[in-house]
Amino acid sequence: MSTPADAIRLPSRAPRFPVWQSLKRANFPIVPTLILGVITFVAIFANQLAPHNPEVGSLVHRFRPPFWMAKGSATYLLGTDQLGRDVLSRLIFGARISLVVGFTAVVFAGVLGTALGIISGYLGGWVDQVIMRLTDTWLALPALTFAIFLAAIVGPSMWNIVIILGLTYWTRYARVIRGEVLSLKEREFVRLAIVAGCSKGTIMRRHILPNVINTAVVLGSLMLGVVIIAEASLSFLGVGVPPPEPAWGLMLSDGKQGLMVGYWWLTVFPGACIMLMVLSANLIGDWLRVKLDPQLRQL
Amino acid sequence: MGMEKPDRARMQLRGPQMSRRDLLALAAASAVVGAPAVAGAAAQADQLTWGVHVSITPSWLDPAETQGIITPFMVLYAVHDAMVKAMPGQPQAPCLAESWTAAEDGLSYSFVIRKEAKFHNGEPVTSEDVKFSFERYKGASHELMHSQVASIETPDPQHVTFKLKQPWPDFLTFYSSASGAGWIVPKKYVEKVGDDGYKNAPIGAGPYKFVSFKPGVELVLEAFDGYWRKKPSVKRIVMRMIPDETTRLAALKRGEVDIAYSIRGELAEELQKTPGLALKPVVLQAPNWLYFPEQWDPKSPWSKLQVRQAANLAIDREGMSKALFLGYCKITNNAVVPYTFEYFWQPPGAAYDPDKAKKLLAEAGYPNGFDAGLMYCDSSYANMAEVSVDNLAAIGITLKLQPVERAGFYAAYGSKKYAKGVVQGASGAFGNAATRMASFVVKGGAYAYGNYADLDELYAQQADALDAKKRGALLDKMQQLVHEKAIYAPIWQLGFLNGVGPRVGESAFATIPGFAYTAPFEDITIKT
Amino acid sequence: MRRFILRRAGYCVLSLFLLSLTIFFFVRVTGDPAALLVEPGASPDDIAAIHHQFGLDRPLWVQYWLFMVALAHGDFGQSFYYQVPVLQLYLSRLPNSLMLAAVAMGLSLLIGIPSGILASVRVGGFWDGAGKLFALLGLSLPSFLVGLVLILVFSVYLGWLPSSGAGSWVHFIMPAFALGWYFAASHMRLTRSSMLEVLGSEYIKLARLKGLPQSLVIAKHAFKNALIPVLTLAGVNLVIMVNVAVVVETVFAWPGIGRLLYEGITFRDFPVVQGVVLMGGAMIVMVNLLVDILYAVIDPRIRLEK
Repeated sequence: MSTPADAIRLPSRAPRFPVWQSLKRANFPIVPTLILGVITFVAIFANQLAPHNPEVGSLVHRFRPPFWMAKGSATYLLGTDQLGRDVLSRLIFGARISLVVGFTAVVFAGVLGTALGIISGYLGGWVDQVIMRLTDTWLALPALTFAIFLAAIVGPSMWNIVIILGLTYWTRYARVIRGEVLSLKEREFVRLAIVAGCSKGTIMRRHILPNVINTAVVLGSLMLGVVIIAEASLSFLGVGVPPPEPAWGLMLSDGKQGLMVGYWWLTVFPGACIMLMVLSANLIGDWLRVKLDPQLRQL
Repeated sequence: MGMEKPDRARMQLRGPQMSRRDLLALAAASAVVGAPAVAGAAAQADQLTWGVHVSITPSWLDPAETQGIITPFMVLYAVHDAMVKAMPGQPQAPCLAESWTAAEDGLSYSFVIRKEAKFHNGEPVTSEDVKFSFERYKGASHELMHSQVASIETPDPQHVTFKLKQPWPDFLTFYSSASGAGWIVPKKYVEKVGDDGYKNAPIGAGPYKFVSFKPGVELVLEAFDGYWRKKPSVKRIVMRMIPDETTRLAALKRGEVDIAYSIRGELAEELQKTPGLALKPVVLQAPNWLYFPEQWDPKSPWSKLQVRQAANLAIDREGMSKALFLGYCKITNNAVVPYTFEYFWQPPGAAYDPDKAKKLLAEAGYPNGFDAGLMYCDSSYANMAEVSVDNLAAIGITLKLQPVERAGFYAAYGSKKYAKGVVQGASGAFGNAATRMASFVVKGGAYAYGNYADLDELYAQQADALDAKKRGALLDKMQQLVHEKAIYAPIWQLGFLNGVGPRVGESAFATIPGFAYTAPFEDITIKT
Repeated sequence: MRRFILRRAGYCVLSLFLLSLTIFFFVRVTGDPAALLVEPGASPDDIAAIHHQFGLDRPLWVQYWLFMVALAHGDFGQSFYYQVPVLQLYLSRLPNSLMLAAVAMGLSLLIGIPSGILASVRVGGFWDGAGKLFALLGLSLPSFLVGLVLILVFSVYLGWLPSSGAGSWVHFIMPAFALGWYFAASHMRLTRSSMLEVLGSEYIKLARLKGLPQSLVIAKHAFKNALIPVLTLAGVNLVIMVNVAVVVETVFAWPGIGRLLYEGITFRDFPVVQGVVLMGGAMIVMVNLLVDILYAVIDPRIRLEK
């Protein structure tokens, strides 16, 4: 992988990797960043923060409401679930799972999709044809059902969910990046590199890649929300992160049964966590889109 | 939903692809224009509607296709009738057959067909139809049944005799309840319309006539006034498929459906609390258990009897049943044989004693417990397995839950892929104690990961025992050994909770022991 | 031109062939349909009988060959679970899916376009924020939760709407909203940005210079131009909606394609999965082919390029 430093040395008008400069400018989405920051903090220090073991409960303590309600207690601040496990502790550890699943799936899909997009767009010809046919036919397998397949084959585990989501969503990147590369390869700096005798691999790595990274980052930030919602939907269909892992999506789909009975805390808390995370990721993504990728702004 | 964010669309939209999107829009729009309207279904005063949890398939309308699962009987009891079938208070009640006799030598069974038995097209049920139905039967156990029956004699339309090749004490069990072979279809009609035509417009001898069917969506039936047992009270029956449990309860609450199958856990609590709705619990003929496949590996802790006994004592069955099924599961403490089965043996009651369990573990040399690896389960019953994992952790046996989607789970369980760890299994298969032993205990059983010589020996003996009493004693002994060796940790026979709305008078739930659904349909009434 | 079309058509046939191969072997890896048609503990004879009935006892390549031969005759096979032709099942569900997607799209545009316009006209203002937030909320909540809350509120507590099923126009309201809300954000985003683009263009500036009132400029000039990309995006989303509706279809017991495919996968109903995926693939590939050909007609350079 090319580092940003490599990119700067290029004889080109290639924009620098301007994330950090942009942060200083106005309109920065402070609240969403704070929210994601808190989620990250909680995820890292889950072991220290969580008052209980998130996976072990006792049936005696099931359906305790949050502490401010009549039967609530300070032991279980946000109440307990259908198996008597502490909701707060599960939310705290759930932050870890959501972040790990979300980020690794997005990065996995991003790396795969970006690589294929660059290769397809730059090399063109039959390689392009093959990759684009592949993405076309991939579309015929609806994302969710494709995920159900993989879950059935490889069995459930958090990492399998990451693989499933990554393998499902790479086509997004591939298509966008390919389009970007098609116009990049006509640009002056690429032609110069060809004249200078750079190999195809070098050009793709050093000259094309740094110029599509921004697009990939913007897409990634928007995809994070998609992936989190997809993870929850997989849980709803019974093929998500396996219990008893405290994933937010799983908590939500398990807890929704209680909504009608009045055990609202089993739905509202994980639902709010998912919502805040996805909303934040999207707001940051929108902002990044405007800042980093003027071409995408039109859509 | 929630999967396809429109990013993909955005990609396609960029650059010179303007006309592609136009085309897509056009294509989609034109397809919509050509779409026919969906037929409406208005609730009527003389109609009852079911909210069904599984997809009803056309194959359930043809008894010949009856697979070895209980769900087809949900529909069979309405559209069709059998010679002999389970009815309230009678596991083998005379239905289309008003009586039968078994020969002294056990080599033949003769049935007398009820005179007033008629098909929906008005034709009488005859011995030819009985013979035809048996011969065309291709569902569960058909090879076994066909291989045991030498010939079927039909001396007159009223009488039919099954001649067996050798005495087979289970004949009536299989013919009446463990298969669909005793359910009668009209020969003339089937021959006229063919098998596929029959599934599209079945004619049976049951209390309800087929009206219309959208596979996986809705089945509509109408009362057959000529039904021999009685005129059905409810004029029209609609079975609607509603896959989501919460939605089923919502539909019941709003009066869109009158009977809702499978409402579990918290939703069942809500059902109980709601005025006007009634909870109808049923005990299924499906026991759940924990299995210890490592018990034949001398290096494994599970090879020690005390460890397996400790696991048995660690499970809080009552608490689990209360928490997950409002206490409506039946704790028989027999691991694999349901209490409704022939030759069922009742073990001593199940005990929950974690302290004693810890003591047993210490005796076995594991005072601090041990890491037992993975606990495999069917993901639809992961909540039970979660409780078991917690229970076992409390005495020091730590397990990591591995819920596997149903098809994958049973395929792997049956192909002996779960040789390590613990398996939470279940079976609702038809049969009797002997068939359960064959599958789950003795050598060669599809789900037996190991075997014990004494049990194999007893199994061989019972298979040769012609005398029902002697056979029963041998099977009792076997089940007792399974219990004493703690080959399994039995959990319970699953409770199946259903909801009934205010318009229903008699719902006919739980009238037939071990049967999950409403039956007999002709007994169901609307409140007046 | 003819050569170009033939080559393109060849690519399409090839990708469909690859898709058929992929899906055929893919579903067979996921498990055994017999395991779901009998209870665990059933006799091996019964399982063998089911395998025989479905033709699963034959070698894989024979099964594939028979599948392709039948396909060539327009026969997608018989569903294992439903025991009826797959095509018949598919066609009975397709109208429901398309209608739901169309209504959902209508609702989504009803949310997305006005909030997008408001947002573009008052950049950074209250409506910009509120509209954006409402649209983004749809994107941030799993649709099963949205659907469930809708059912609880409108069916159970208020009793206004039927909880599930398809039948009359009232049945559309909740599932269409749950499905459409998720897509509203993308329509809002696109409306907003293309409005901003159009508002910044020369001819709008000119219109303003001419002294036309702001509302007229927006309504007459800007909106019309900004609408085109939004409607085209809606077209693409409509196709996507048909494919992704499985969760909404499950919650509302909506008899659509998504549910059919989902059940096909859970029951290991190989012919259904193969049929639905291939039909979907064929639709996508066909549309692509038509577009490519149209392109070539419009722009002859493309013919030479590829």
